[in-house]
Amino acid sequence: MTKIVKSLSKTVMVLLVAAIAFGGATSCKSKKKIAREKAAAEYAIKVDQAKKDLLAIISGSTSWTADEMTERIAVIKSYNIDDNQIKDLIVKAEEKVEDVRAAEMRRAEEERMRREEDAKIRAAQSEFAVIDNQFDAIATAGTIDGSNSQIQQTLEYFETPDIPVLIIISKSEGFNDYDRPTTISKFLNYLKDKKSYKYKIEAVKRNSVGKITELELIVK
Amino acid sequence: MKKLAYILIILTSFGFTSAMAQDQLSPERKQAVDSLALEKIRDLSKYISIIGSKETPWSEANRVIDRAEELFMQGSEIGVSSLAKTEISYFVVRKYFERLMRLNYNKVEISWYNIEYVSDLQRQPDGTYVGVITIFQKFKGYDAEGRLVYQDTTKKDITVYVKRKETQIGGRLIGFWDVLLGDIRVKETSK
Repeated sequence: MTKIVKSLSKTVMVLLVAAIAFGGATSCKSKKKIAREKAAAEYAIKVDQAKKDLLAIISGSTSWTADEMTERIAVIKSYNIDDNQIKDLIVKAEEKVEDVRAAEMRRAEEERMRREEDAKIRAAQSEFAVIDNQFDAIATAGTIDGSNSQIQQTLEYFETPDIPVLIIISKSEGFNDYDRPTTISKFLNYLKDKKSYKYKIEAVKRNSVGKITELELIVK
Repeated sequence: MKKLAYILIILTSFGFTSAMAQDQLSPERKQAVDSLALEKIRDLSKYISIIGSKETPWSEANRVIDRAEELFMQGSEIGVSSLAKTEISYFVVRKYFERLMRLNYNKVEISWYNIEYVSDLQRQPDGTYVGVITIFQKFKGYDAEGRLVYQDTTKKDITVYVKRKETQIGGRLIGFWDVLLGDIRVKETSK
């Protein structure tokens, strides 16, 4: 009886060891498979996302800047995806980035030039504002003496009382139409007589000491 | 030599075409010229008011007469009417302004209103544009006591001549429209 018990327990032990050994091996094999499958799925997602991003770059449907696009392409390249379509898309996307970068540079240059032009216009307007204000002061002085005093002050800005004043009445078809040219002295007295200044300065020419030698006005 | 002649003909015709293009007015430019002529009439209105005003110093009045005279073609005349007389007297521009300056009132008020074209500027064969602008003039004369002793309203027609001219300024050729006023004819006078 004792023999039978001993033999049975040995058999159970052997079976147990075999079961553990077999079960453990099966579990390990399954984990590797899951890991492989998981990696394959992640790779497929990566490839799919890379494709989508590259197509978005090529079609211009992304709001990324050229730098952001370059960064994204570098990441995609780092995946070393062995797919001819992806490789082809990378080449096209890089060409697109170059176009976008050139357009960005062009826009930046245009913006810079526009700002410069605006600054020039503002500077010119503020430069002309002094003279415009003087003209307005003559027209609105209220008395002959007041206007005459303003005229004397204003003439200080001009080389002589006889410098030409051109008044543009129309700007079209590529050239200007002018009123009969006059002199600054006559024009300032005209403002005094009319009691209104309804022009604005279009251009001035100055001599080496900054005095105005020619004035061009335009009817407002 | 023949080639040179052709080139000269082509260049001359280009210059002629360009000059013609500048003389032919688009509606936009025509409007600018119309406005310029009306503005000259408004300038004259202002000058007449200044010259006639007894508050204007003599030197100022004479300066303004010079400016006003520059608005007219040489030899132009201005009609003068009165409720007291049926006939209309015409004076050369300078004479008219000098008489206006010396009117025998203590205070004079002259204003022009309803200034408008009765005949649009029309291009003449010589390139001059000619039109007629009508104005209404309200005249009021006061005595030393400030009483209104005379007033009338006169309708006047002013002939306007506009011609494109060119002048050199600072080395540039400037094309300008020269507006000159002709005779001012009295059409009606009423109280």
